[in-house]
Amino acid sequence: MTFFTIVLRSLTRRPVRTCLTLVGISIGIAAVVTLVGMASGYEKGIGKQLDVVGIDVVVSNMSGGIMPKMFDAALQQKVAALPRVAETTTVLMRMMSVEDAPIMMISGREWGGFTWHQMKILEGRMLKDGSEKAVVLGTLAAELLRKKVGDTVQIETEELTVVGIVDGRSMVENGTIFLSLQVMQEISGEEGKINFLDIRVSPNTSKAEIVQLCKDIKDIFPEGRAMVANEVVGTSQGFRVVRAMSWSTSLLAIIVGVLGVMNTMLMTVFERTHEIGILLAVGWRRRRIVFMVLCESALLGLLGGIVGVGLGVLGLITLGASPGIRGFIEPDINVKLMLIAIAIAVVVGVISGLYPAWRSSRLTPSLALQN
Amino acid sequence: MNPTLRVFLHAVIGTAFLVSEAHAQEGVLSARDLAAQLSNIIQDGSSIVRLRMDISKPGGGGKTVLQIQVKSRRTKSATDLVYQVLWPKDRKGESFLLHRSGGRAPSGTVFTPPDSMVPLTAARMREGIFGSDLAYDDLAENFFAWGNQAIVGTEEVDRVPCQILESKPGKGDGTSYAKVRSWIDTKRMVTLRVEKHTDSGKLAKRIDTTRVSKDDTGRTIGSSFSVQRSGQDSVTEIEGSNSKHGVTFPVDGFTPEALRALK
Repeated sequence: MTFFTIVLRSLTRRPVRTCLTLVGISIGIAAVVTLVGMASGYEKGIGKQLDVVGIDVVVSNMSGGIMPKMFDAALQQKVAALPRVAETTTVLMRMMSVEDAPIMMISGREWGGFTWHQMKILEGRMLKDGSEKAVVLGTLAAELLRKKVGDTVQIETEELTVVGIVDGRSMVENGTIFLSLQVMQEISGEEGKINFLDIRVSPNTSKAEIVQLCKDIKDIFPEGRAMVANEVVGTSQGFRVVRAMSWSTSLLAIIVGVLGVMNTMLMTVFERTHEIGILLAVGWRRRRIVFMVLCESALLGLLGGIVGVGLGVLGLITLGASPGIRGFIEPDINVKLMLIAIAIAVVVGVISGLYPAWRSSRLTPSLALQN
Repeated sequence: MNPTLRVFLHAVIGTAFLVSEAHAQEGVLSARDLAAQLSNIIQDGSSIVRLRMDISKPGGGGKTVLQIQVKSRRTKSATDLVYQVLWPKDRKGESFLLHRSGGRAPSGTVFTPPDSMVPLTAARMREGIFGSDLAYDDLAENFFAWGNQAIVGTEEVDRVPCQILESKPGKGDGTSYAKVRSWIDTKRMVTLRVEKHTDSGKLAKRIDTTRVSKDDTGRTIGSSFSVQRSGQDSVTEIEGSNSKHGVTFPVDGFTPEALRALK
């Protein structure tokens, strides 16, 4: 019988208890994978959207609610005149419930602006011009609304014809309804208003020059904020909150897992006092006993981690397909997160085994054998 | 101590849609002051609000989803409301108008396309709007302005400490309810729950605020609600989509004729 056979046998001796402990730890790990995977998917989705659209700097006024506050579209001319600004385009975006679908993104984009360029027409056609009272739908938006080319979509008081279905090349873009800025402003009664000004800078612009550009924009638009596109996600308070919440909720689940493993290992040590006494009597060192208990708890953690990752991935797939999330967030199922989750589970196992291991090392062979 | 906190409240669907972030006074407000503040906040001028209304009728009754546009003009002396169905297509244009001035009973008109224009009688005021659990009465009355107000306790709603304000109608306050209890988050001045009771003391209707968010003016408001009538298994979920304040309506914007046009 080898050392690891002893470790394995101690876990299989009480299969129900071992399984229940595994369930406890795997729920904790599943929570880590699911919550962090969703938060990360949300961040990546926004990041990818900015990336595929080719936006370098975003100007908005985030002091409002979920969507930025509206501001005067005349800002575009002032910003366009700043050095290093190659292109600007304006957007009026809203999040609202459309027909019987849940809240979705409606993006009124300046016709001819660069934000239209990355879209690939899959069916139908693009808008004819900025005044056409029509929409194109991202693939997911079309699916959610159950619309095809030629149908109409009710936005505010207007019925707009669906003229095309596009691949926006990111989850966020694909879940969006697109129309021209002019039409969006008309139907929402917000003529001359926008809530995003997107900027492309000249090629070879250094990071320092982009930062300076953001400062210059702040000078002419003090109530708003210009942000470098790839920093939007990292610096956003909202994203930080989402990240913190997902990790803190996961932490709670992990603590429950720790207690479960600790309880199981303590029970194991108490039940095996006699066995440990024999091992000590036949010459095992205390260090080896400690190592054995730690190996058992680490193995519990590892198995719980693997099961938990499986459950977490399943949770991510289910959540990603659920109404309300589909089209907004593409769950981030990545190997790195899975490995981190398994590593956490093993560490959790080892930490949970520390106290039981210490208890086992305190046993004396004579007393243990008496028991 | 004179810390005045800004008080906001917004009424989207009558008194059920009680809003807002507040500059509540740090000291405990008296029932009368609290009600007065809430009543004042409801008078938030002219606005247009978009709503999604889900009416669920379990037991084979199915589910109805409506997109609704609400135009409102609220002043201290009068309230005018127009509700218009935007979607689904087959119900587009269904609408009604409600008017209430002073302590008088509300009046109104219901329009069903293409031509049906029916006045709202007193009896019909208790019926649900568009087949929902929310009655015309609920939209028109302002129980914070009633003669008798009392704070009858405190309770947490979704872990938010609330004061329970009990409003009873005075002589001139025409209403079908004997008392209304509202759970007020005094820190943000948002009503998180409303319970309406009949003369016999039975609970007739309960309105829960299910989401609190900021409106177009930056005020914190109750933006989603769940309405349930006692003894009925149906539930109406109302989700505010967006709002716009400071709107200028045409002179005839709140007349029966205006119901014919959807804009």
